[in-house]
Amino acid sequence: MAAYIEARNVNLTFRPPNRAPVRALYGFDIDVREGELLSIVGPSGCGKSTFLNILLGLIKPDSGQISMRGKAISGPGPDRAMVFQEFGLLPWRTVQSNIELGLELKGVPAETRHKVSRELIEMVGLGGFEAHYPHELSGGMKQRVGLARALATDPDVLLMDEPFAALDAQTRDLMQVELLRIWNQARKTMLFVTHQIDEAIYLSDRVLVMTKRPGHAKKIFDIALPRPRDYEMRVTPEFNELKLEIWHALKDEITV
Amino acid sequence: MSETQAIGSNVVAAAPADELAPQKSVWRRIEPTALGAGSIVLLLVVWELIPHLVTVSAGTRLFFTTPSQVAGTLWTMFATGAVWVPLGVSASGFGLGLGLAIVVGLPLGVLIGRSKVLNAMFDPFITAFNATPRLVFLPLVVLWFGLGLWSKVVIVFIGALFPILINTYEGVRNADKVLINVVRSFGAKEWDIARLVVIPNATPYIVAGLRLAIGRAVLGVVVAEFFGSEAGLGVMMVQASGRYQVDVVFAGLIIFAGLSLVMTGLVQLLENRLSRWRPQPQGEG
Amino acid sequence: MTPDGVPQIPFLERNRKVALGLLAVVLFFGAWQAAFLYFPFNPLFISKPNLIFAGLADLITSGELLYDLRVSAVPFLYGFSAAVVVGVSIGILMGWRVRVGYALDPLMTVFYASPLVALAPLVIVFFGVGVAGKAIIIFLLSVFPFIFNAYAGVRAVDRLLINVVRSLGGTEKDLYLKVIVPSVLPYLVAGARIAVGRALIGVLVGEFFAASEGIGYAIARFGDLFALDKMFACILAVMIIAVVMTEGIRWAERAAFPWRVGQ
Repeated sequence: MAAYIEARNVNLTFRPPNRAPVRALYGFDIDVREGELLSIVGPSGCGKSTFLNILLGLIKPDSGQISMRGKAISGPGPDRAMVFQEFGLLPWRTVQSNIELGLELKGVPAETRHKVSRELIEMVGLGGFEAHYPHELSGGMKQRVGLARALATDPDVLLMDEPFAALDAQTRDLMQVELLRIWNQARKTMLFVTHQIDEAIYLSDRVLVMTKRPGHAKKIFDIALPRPRDYEMRVTPEFNELKLEIWHALKDEITV
Repeated sequence: MSETQAIGSNVVAAAPADELAPQKSVWRRIEPTALGAGSIVLLLVVWELIPHLVTVSAGTRLFFTTPSQVAGTLWTMFATGAVWVPLGVSASGFGLGLGLAIVVGLPLGVLIGRSKVLNAMFDPFITAFNATPRLVFLPLVVLWFGLGLWSKVVIVFIGALFPILINTYEGVRNADKVLINVVRSFGAKEWDIARLVVIPNATPYIVAGLRLAIGRAVLGVVVAEFFGSEAGLGVMMVQASGRYQVDVVFAGLIIFAGLSLVMTGLVQLLENRLSRWRPQPQGEG
Repeated sequence: MTPDGVPQIPFLERNRKVALGLLAVVLFFGAWQAAFLYFPFNPLFISKPNLIFAGLADLITSGELLYDLRVSAVPFLYGFSAAVVVGVSIGILMGWRVRVGYALDPLMTVFYASPLVALAPLVIVFFGVGVAGKAIIIFLLSVFPFIFNAYAGVRAVDRLLINVVRSLGGTEKDLYLKVIVPSVLPYLVAGARIAVGRALIGVLVGEFFAASEGIGYAIARFGDLFALDKMFACILAVMIIAVVMTEGIRWAERAAFPWRVGQ
């Protein structure tokens, strides 16, 4: 039986006008299980974000098969939603109206939209900020909005493209705890792209290490640490052991 | 918000912020306004006093006027209603030309912003016409449209078109790629992208273009009336300079400046309404 | 071949934008010329490209165009140079001394917002139709971009950079040469780009009002004579000069200040 999400031999070359083409992905394979939290780490420019965009349906690969529940992915769909690194909030919309964006495009009536957004605003802890504009929020709050917006359409898969990279270290730690809480509550399949090995281990069931460009899967690690996880777990020998292993897999791919 | 402001201002560390800050900031706050207004008042007073302080020769007096004289002339022009006919003529040329520039400039700007081919093809013409002082076309325009309203409309139109066109284009082109991807990921079609991202993003650019266009349109009315018209405020001013009625020239200048200020003010109101989502009004560029 | 084994992009594709632009210009003149084959336009009101280019060649070889341009250039140079000196001085003073800035900012804004070109007839009456009157009109129109840009440039000097240079043991001279001048200069060049356009308006206004030579006068006279080919030729010459000046400054900006992306 096919995996929940399956990618086979995906190839993609970017052809920017007036510049030499760049091979982003080359023979990329991946199997994602239903309900798991899978992190992808890899050197800068290895195509990990590109792969998320392909899964989302925004970019078409040159060749290869990508399917979800056995059905090929051919474009954006309500079963997948993305949390963007730069938040991607529409600056001219309030928190509430940003969260309702996906529902609005689906043609959901206003009353239902408001009900959903009120629930989500509570869930991500933004009560009282419904009418604020993005520029009035801190980075952490902005990404809470981004998370709520992605959850609003009730997708089966959440794609997260370095969602906490723009946050300071403390806010980042807090958001990781938040994310695990929300993941427990909503039980979505999540793909999480990150640069940070710590973050990947702390959050994930499995961690995939990618090679440098043109990117493909190098090695996959099972994170057998018990859940629920807490902050103290990051200083346990098991955690550090994993961190070292992943670092060894990753370091040959990194060129400065 | 209030936190960052308190940190930003130079509050003396030892004293509680809310005790020291307001006291210190009273003069701080009114100083720019007071100095600004003061310099304008000073200029007017000195100008007014010149004839009392130095003896102005008869020849120079012919070219001399005082602010009080100009104000008196302005007052009579409005009191007798003499101003309304020329002002109406000028304003209609201004309004028609600017309106036409908006009607043409907005859609064309959007089109050029969305299509790379059209952009490349229009670029040489936009560059050329934008760099060229449109006054160079005036003799030709007068030849084609005759002395009167339509020559003026065309000159105003050529001047006002490019700021609107170029700013609309820039605003459309600068739409954030991430935001476009966001709405596309929720299944947005081309029209949704325009409605949700491109147009709101372009609005501040368009408003800024409109403000530039108003300045150019007023300039266009003035020069078109100087050389290609038989009625209007500009014509009044040329005739007045010929008769050494310097106060009338300045009165006309003030009316044109007023027209420009009123229109810019209206655009500012529009901008304030449309830009509630933006962080603090930025300083003028 | 690039390392990836992908062939080089062909020349035409790389210069697609330029090629399309040229194509559009050629198409424009072609359509203009062709229109005359189908519509009997009155030659007193419009000319066709081949006649215009012939007229342009005629004006150049006879030296008329060059003479008129030289006549127009004199007040332009006087007025524009004065605008640079006066405008930059006032602007720097406004930026350097905060109170001067407060005092003059509204006044200058009022001047900038009023259509000063409206004073042209008065200036001509007062100073006469010679070089002086025209230079003053050009000065009045082109001084304000320099004032405002110098003002903005000085205010935009990064305090942090001043502290950096000081902390590295820089002298007062180093501050000027390494921080202040490089910060302000791009603003001045950008101001010059705006001022050139306004100065050209000044040239034309002055010459339309009262002149017996100069490029503006030539355009008006050829119009009165219904010599449409020569009139269009002169307009074309002014367009080319205007484009060369503004695009030249823009090019210089990009070449001299490559760190200023955008703008």
